[in-house]
Amino acid sequence: MPEAVSVLAPRATAETPPLPRRLTVWLLLGVLALVPAVAGGFWTYSVGVCMANAVAVLSVGFLLRYGGEVSIGHSFFLAFGAYCTAIVERELGLSVGIGLPVAAAAGAVLGIVFAWPSRALSGIYLAIATMALALSVPELILQLGPIAGGYEGLYVARPLIPGVSVDLQRYYLPLVVLALVVLLLARFRRSRQGLVLLTARDHPRAAEAFGFSRGYARLAAFAISASIASTAGALLAFAASTVSPNSFTLSTAIYLLVGTVVSFGSLGLAGALAGGAFITLVPQLFAAWGDWVPIIYGAALLAVVTLGHRPAEVLAALRARLGGGRRDA
Amino acid sequence: MLDAVTATAAELTVEAVSLSFGGHRVLKEVSMDFRPGQVTGLIGPNGAGKTSLFNCLTGLYRPQQGRIALGGQSLERMPPARRARAGLSRSFQHVALCPELDVLENVMFGRARLGRSGWADAFLPLPGGRAERAEARAAAMDVLRRLDLAAFSDVTPAGLPPGTQRLVEIARAIASRPRVLLLDEPAAGLNPAETRQLTAVLRGLVSPELIIVVVEHDMDLIMQLCDRIHVLNFGQRIASGTPAEIRADPEVIRVYLGDSDD
Repeated sequence: MPEAVSVLAPRATAETPPLPRRLTVWLLLGVLALVPAVAGGFWTYSVGVCMANAVAVLSVGFLLRYGGEVSIGHSFFLAFGAYCTAIVERELGLSVGIGLPVAAAAGAVLGIVFAWPSRALSGIYLAIATMALALSVPELILQLGPIAGGYEGLYVARPLIPGVSVDLQRYYLPLVVLALVVLLLARFRRSRQGLVLLTARDHPRAAEAFGFSRGYARLAAFAISASIASTAGALLAFAASTVSPNSFTLSTAIYLLVGTVVSFGSLGLAGALAGGAFITLVPQLFAAWGDWVPIIYGAALLAVVTLGHRPAEVLAALRARLGGGRRDA
Repeated sequence: MLDAVTATAAELTVEAVSLSFGGHRVLKEVSMDFRPGQVTGLIGPNGAGKTSLFNCLTGLYRPQQGRIALGGQSLERMPPARRARAGLSRSFQHVALCPELDVLENVMFGRARLGRSGWADAFLPLPGGRAERAEARAAAMDVLRRLDLAAFSDVTPAGLPPGTQRLVEIARAIASRPRVLLLDEPAAGLNPAETRQLTAVLRGLVSPELIIVVVEHDMDLIMQLCDRIHVLNFGQRIASGTPAEIRADPEVIRVYLGDSDD
């Protein structure tokens, strides 16, 4: 795929990614598929949550890449997807097989509902507006009353396929959905709409001159991003088997942003996994570091927000310097 | 390739357009027309209002008075994104190509508005979307070949010299199948060799149904390229005519006297 900074590097056509990259993806998927066979219950659970978080990281990465915007509020859409799934199970008795598509579709609508009034904002101002979303989440959930289960939250216990080990399903569903999301996003990059969003990100006036208003670009980027975030929420609810208000706070939103920084804004499998693993495992592994964890996160957040209105270019340059311009896994 | 959608090629007309910024009038009842099959130049000394008029044509500015129309269709209240649908396309003075897309993809973006594929096609390998993408790719490649840019199709714009980037912008505009092509100082930042190439390319684009409008400082380019020229000074049109008529116009000579360009 083309890269602004690697004109001289050999590249494949837009239709087929180069062979080594495809091999890496298949190798990664193979290793992930074997985890439950070789690792214990704790690691199977943790890697499952990592993959759900990887999808969440992709949702923030998508907005950064195709909208050129930073969100500090995606925990809102994550919570929405998670509660959608839990409520669909509790009220309708349907499994995540229905809950997840419902969450993805409703999440897109919710993304538009937020993006429309905020379409004139950008940069730090939009980031602050999204932060308001994140801050509202726990209160909103408690206001919903008994349907959302209050402080204790809700269980997501119904298996997707009855009769098969639920623990395995809680691992493999995030794996399958993560692989699918990565594949769909790779396709999107080549689509008509993908070209429009990328041009609108860099030159909104050029996109307008060719028939696509800023509002269209913003709504499209937000709808897709929010839909991915809602999907990730559904996966998190299923992988962790429970949802509660305190898993969707402002820090959750900030972690997602940090995960995006760790993934270098990549929308590929390896990058997303790195971001998802970072935000899942670092708090666990470095719990002993205590106060340093939020400081590290805060520094990473400041870095991404101060990259300014068009962080994607800076990220591209960074990636080129660190990894020879490789972007999508 | 470049044919307009309509059978009868329509004129782009500006009627008594006035524009002011906070009491400062930059355009005073300007009227002029731009004809299909011709390259029309818009010139004038600095501050004459040619960029303001250009911005009224693209929709960046809305004139307080007057009418801008393409055929029977009024444009003056139309936002820029809708003007694209009406058949207007443009290039930018500061190249506005997407640095992440390669040259071919930038040109494919030019015809994105003509596409019919929906959001499902964007994510899924459906036959309709695939066929449309292949068609868009072929059409974009066609435009690149016509402009002698095919060799650059798979590089990103940042690696190209300014003249080539400008031509890619023109290719992108042409790919949208416009009825009106608006060029904002196309020779800005180009060396003489690049300017000559640009002139040849633009002359090659002339077709009976296409209106080409060029705002430009470079007098040599304007005189060689244009079939007709409108001259603005202090927000008013002071002359219109062929390059030869403009060169001989006493008012124009007076305005440009001492100007190193002419």
